[in-house]
Amino acid sequence: MTPPLTYAAVAVFAPVAAALVLAVLYPLRKKGMPAAVLTIASSSAAFVSAVLLFIDRLQGAPPELATVPWIQSGSKVLADVGLRVDGASASMLVVVTLVALMVQVFSLGYMHDEEPPAFGRYFAYHALFLFSMNVLVIAPNLLQLFAGWELVGVTSYLLIGFYFKKPSAARAAVKAFWVTKFADMGLLFGLLVLYVASGSFGWDAHLEPATATLVTLLFFFAVVGKSAQFPLHVWLPDAMEGPTPVSALLHAATMVAAGVYLVVRANPLFEQSEFTRTVMLYLGAGTALFAALLALVQTDIKKVLAYSTCSQLGYMVSALGAGSMVGGFWHLTTHAFFKALLFLAAGSAIHAVHSNEIGDMGGLLKKMPLTGGAFIIGSLALAGFPGFSGFFSKDMVLEAVEHAGKVPFALLVATAFLTAFYMGRVVFVAFFGAPSARAAHAHEPPWSMRLPLVVLATLSVFGGAFTTPFAALQGEEVHFHLTGGAALASLFGFAGIGLAFFTYGRGPRHEAPGAVAFVERMSNSHAVNRFYEVLFHRVALVVSDALAWTDRYIVDGLINAVGYGALEAGRRARPLQTGLVPDYVLAAVIGVLGLAFWSASS
Amino acid sequence: MTLSSCLVLASALFSIGIYGLLTRRQAIAVLLSVELMANAANLVFASFGHFRGGPTGQTFALFAVALTVAEVAVGLALVILFYRSHGDTQVDLARELRQ
Repeated sequence: MTPPLTYAAVAVFAPVAAALVLAVLYPLRKKGMPAAVLTIASSSAAFVSAVLLFIDRLQGAPPELATVPWIQSGSKVLADVGLRVDGASASMLVVVTLVALMVQVFSLGYMHDEEPPAFGRYFAYHALFLFSMNVLVIAPNLLQLFAGWELVGVTSYLLIGFYFKKPSAARAAVKAFWVTKFADMGLLFGLLVLYVASGSFGWDAHLEPATATLVTLLFFFAVVGKSAQFPLHVWLPDAMEGPTPVSALLHAATMVAAGVYLVVRANPLFEQSEFTRTVMLYLGAGTALFAALLALVQTDIKKVLAYSTCSQLGYMVSALGAGSMVGGFWHLTTHAFFKALLFLAAGSAIHAVHSNEIGDMGGLLKKMPLTGGAFIIGSLALAGFPGFSGFFSKDMVLEAVEHAGKVPFALLVATAFLTAFYMGRVVFVAFFGAPSARAAHAHEPPWSMRLPLVVLATLSVFGGAFTTPFAALQGEEVHFHLTGGAALASLFGFAGIGLAFFTYGRGPRHEAPGAVAFVERMSNSHAVNRFYEVLFHRVALVVSDALAWTDRYIVDGLINAVGYGALEAGRRARPLQTGLVPDYVLAAVIGVLGLAFWSASS
Repeated sequence: MTLSSCLVLASALFSIGIYGLLTRRQAIAVLLSVELMANAANLVFASFGHFRGGPTGQTFALFAVALTVAEVAVGLALVILFYRSHGDTQVDLARELRQ
């Protein structure tokens, strides 16, 4: 194997080795700390090899491939599994392994109070997750990507339900699993159609226009589920029941980005369908605004970030719909850094005040300058403040969307305003103002939690510098230039921060503006969840009941009738068996005579 | 004496044996009826041997007689055991096959 492929293999197999060792050797897991050390060591190895791979790719070598045949039937091979090294997979691999490593280090401090066996289990899940994600990222075809996709779904279930003794966490895990699984059907059916139409699971097939639209729409359905787009976003806020570092890794930086990554990978297919891209453009922009509105009224700091993630994923989807693969992918990357930073900083604050409510925080910047500073940096990057990494990626997104349509562009600019406003709200309420009773004794966390904050904050500030090399890796030349649209969005961002300051930043809490109160009422009605409830009770349950009845009384009925018939026939035939030898002899004689007559007559 | 008269005699013996087998309730009588049927078969062997010539038929009959003796010994042993367990030799009592 060539060096790049070796790096990729290390990135994939180091985490799974750790996961397998931890799965088999229970004592390691029970002790807790050895499991953490092993997982972090494997993630470090994965991260270092990902960086080496990334540097190697920067020299512009052609993609490399190492595969083995999978599912052989006769002389035909269904698909290959293996490693594909190119610009997109190398970039994504760095993002995933870096954020995973930072989150795992952070977890050393954050999860310190867990029982040792739970601590060990947590890290074993993390190793498994990193493996799953890397399988997805490095996939040479869509079938392996699907396998990684499902593995990620399972590990997400395990991690959301980590506190499985808490009913709400267990329910959230099941909900996340169901909703994404429902959406995953799209990917599965899309793969089937693709295979029938093109005879392979590759993403470079040329399809009939109608088939291309069907396949990409089915894929996009899976993206809607995984990347929490309207109307399948309902699982993401609930998934915040998991430990905060898990939210940072899975539900901000990597797993939810898998949907966007799928589109990046299958871009040659998506380019063949104008219709699907239009759907993505509008749905993404709509989700961005919708989720931003909901983020306005959350009081749980993690829920704000969760809706914000939905909203930013909407940006990415919309950019992909506008045909800017690089824009969506670059926003994915910067978002991974600053949203992971925001979640970890929020985790640090939650760790200090033992509450998720922003009302229970307040004045934390003075008590925890590093955490507060990190959160503010993350918020500025998220709001697209000029100079921060989010500014550069948002600029690319907005430029692409501006050319694609005025309505989605307007939606995204409005979202930029709301983003700045709701992040300003959290910052002013939680980190400025008077400390609340809970926040009085808050103090900075241990170094293991501070280090990831510093690393991610650095990337969030200076990440924008990598815009040009990153785009070059994806095969496009991009030089940053400020467009009118992006400048407009930045102005709206400033206005959002300013409004947040006037509303929440001046001493004692002010009443929420009327518009916010309206959104609050809308949010409290839980319309989307209610809709699914009705759908579930009125449609799914009724259909299931009908099917259950058919199964019980018709399918099972037939089987039971056959069995009962045999029993009854036996009962009827029983008197024939008298047990008397002469009767049997008589029967034999009659039989012989019958045979004799039969043979004589024929 | 012709072959057919011998065969008619054998058939008659065989039919008497079957009749006895079906109607008799005493185990000894059933055994005797079985003997009659066996002897009818022997007779068929012997008469074919006689009218065809050659030793085969006679040899078979001789062997069959020897085997029948052994069979009767076993049959009588069964009857004695049956008597010991049921206190009688009525074959109607033997209904264990039904359970």
